[in-house]
Amino acid sequence: MAGVWIFAENLQQTAELLSIGSDLASKLMTTTSAFLIGNTDSADDCIAFGADEIMELPALAGDQPLDAYIPVIVAEAQTADPDVFLIAATVRGKDIAARLAARLKTGLCSDCIGVTFDEGNNVLEMDRLAYGGAAIQKVACMTRPVMATIPPGTYKPAPQQSGRQGTIRELQAPQPSPSTVLERRPKETQVKDITESRIVVCAGRGIERKEDLSLVQELATALGGEIGCTRPISEEAHWLPEELCIGLSGISVKPDLYIGLGVSGQVQHVTGIRDAKVICAVNKDENAPLFGAADYGIVGDLYDVVPKLIEAVKKAKA
Amino acid sequence: MPNIIACFKWVIDEAYIRAGSSGELDMRSVNYKLSDYDRNAIEEAARIKEEHGGTVIALTVGIPGGTKGLKDALSRGPDKACFISDPSFENLEPSQTAAILADVIGRKLDYDLIICGEGSSDLYARQVGPRLAETLGIPCISFVQKLTIDGNRIIAERKVEEGIEVTAAPMPALVTVVPDINNPRIPGVKDTLTASKKEVITITKDDLSSAYEPTLRTVSMTAASMERNCVKFTAEPSDITAFIEALAKEGVLR
Repeated sequence: MAGVWIFAENLQQTAELLSIGSDLASKLMTTTSAFLIGNTDSADDCIAFGADEIMELPALAGDQPLDAYIPVIVAEAQTADPDVFLIAATVRGKDIAARLAARLKTGLCSDCIGVTFDEGNNVLEMDRLAYGGAAIQKVACMTRPVMATIPPGTYKPAPQQSGRQGTIRELQAPQPSPSTVLERRPKETQVKDITESRIVVCAGRGIERKEDLSLVQELATALGGEIGCTRPISEEAHWLPEELCIGLSGISVKPDLYIGLGVSGQVQHVTGIRDAKVICAVNKDENAPLFGAADYGIVGDLYDVVPKLIEAVKKAKA
Repeated sequence: MPNIIACFKWVIDEAYIRAGSSGELDMRSVNYKLSDYDRNAIEEAARIKEEHGGTVIALTVGIPGGTKGLKDALSRGPDKACFISDPSFENLEPSQTAAILADVIGRKLDYDLIICGEGSSDLYARQVGPRLAETLGIPCISFVQKLTIDGNRIIAERKVEEGIEVTAAPMPALVTVVPDINNPRIPGVKDTLTASKKEVITITKDDLSSAYEPTLRTVSMTAASMERNCVKFTAEPSDITAFIEALAKEGVLR
């Protein structure tokens, strides 16, 4: 047996991985198998999304962490010898993938953003970002299975096809694990998701006081957009929630218009705005790296420029 | 009193990387640094030692030229360092790094707790910590933002998508830490002077029990290109008008 295997934490992520997974399976002339966590209701959906086989993982005890499944998955992989194993790059997914790769003694492409199949050499080449997003690293796995974690949202979910047939198989329940979950605390506040916003105005280190964020908000409101921030604003100053932190270790945005106010433009941040249609920068330091990544820049003190911009935007929209 | 190993990597500072004319990476003016989140790993080890006693060893694998990194790491609180070094350790992939660390830790070092950064600044694959734990056969709690020692176990607040997962594990255990966990100290002159007097254990390739072959091959490493207009305006009223007109022309003001 062989095949393309998929492990994700929910149905949406599974459907996304089945999109690229089914594509690879047809090129490798093999089948797709998806793990499902303690939820038998979605097996038929998964088959409709393109899975040929469903491996059901029995539900965990309340205090068991997700990594309790590792030994079960390793045992299956050692028996079935999959060709490819794709895992959704969630926090737990990344952890589990690295540990599975260690057990299976194989290579893993972390945060893979693109896969190409080199038919001539029968090799999968996988792209990922390196050096904070300054570089694209193309890797090939030399051992079996070829493993990759793929960030949620990288691929569109596979379309549902009616009438697909697949097999469903229940795996053994996981043994008690050495780690136990004592408590699960949901996030205290729900923050608006800006990953799909059309206009994003971003507050950077150039903002001197927390009160001054109102200036950023005012420009965002005038433009009909949302506010985001860089790492120093959320992680160091804690002025805005981390859900608004744009960059490699935060969120990626792809608005029509991005305006960075007092944003220096470190490569990790710029990686998070790469897909913006128009990038603008306002900074008093004319050598700020963001100017090099921007379509339009204004060299000037944001405290002088932003009020002028707000007025000009209101006038233009009137 | 826990014996703690803090792992670190001496990496190219990505801020100095330029894109060459044909899409290659221009590394001519690069500098090196202690990988960002490894500073948090060392700080956390030093913090726990201050609270509970014990020892801290800073451990790294790399090329012999990386001695500056040892001094940097030692100036941040560890008692001594262990340097696994060979000229061939220049571009190790995560499975090799983890296997080499596990080889040395498993055979030569006493430990209750291993602390790693969540990922390195250069590759940011976030594999070495979890792989190392799995190879040593010890519990792993990754992406930790708060760590407490509770008798013979650790209690870690792990940062996941929906919030916080508070997880406990018996020691010996491994954690990987996110930058929120602490504010790494900035070493002073005295720390730097003390650092140069601390013991460094050097381990060579011959001391390892196996040659660890790569499982992942880098086919290419190219500059991530981003073509932008790069038009600059001043803060003068006429320029502000021109800026707004440019945006209107792009069709992004609606």
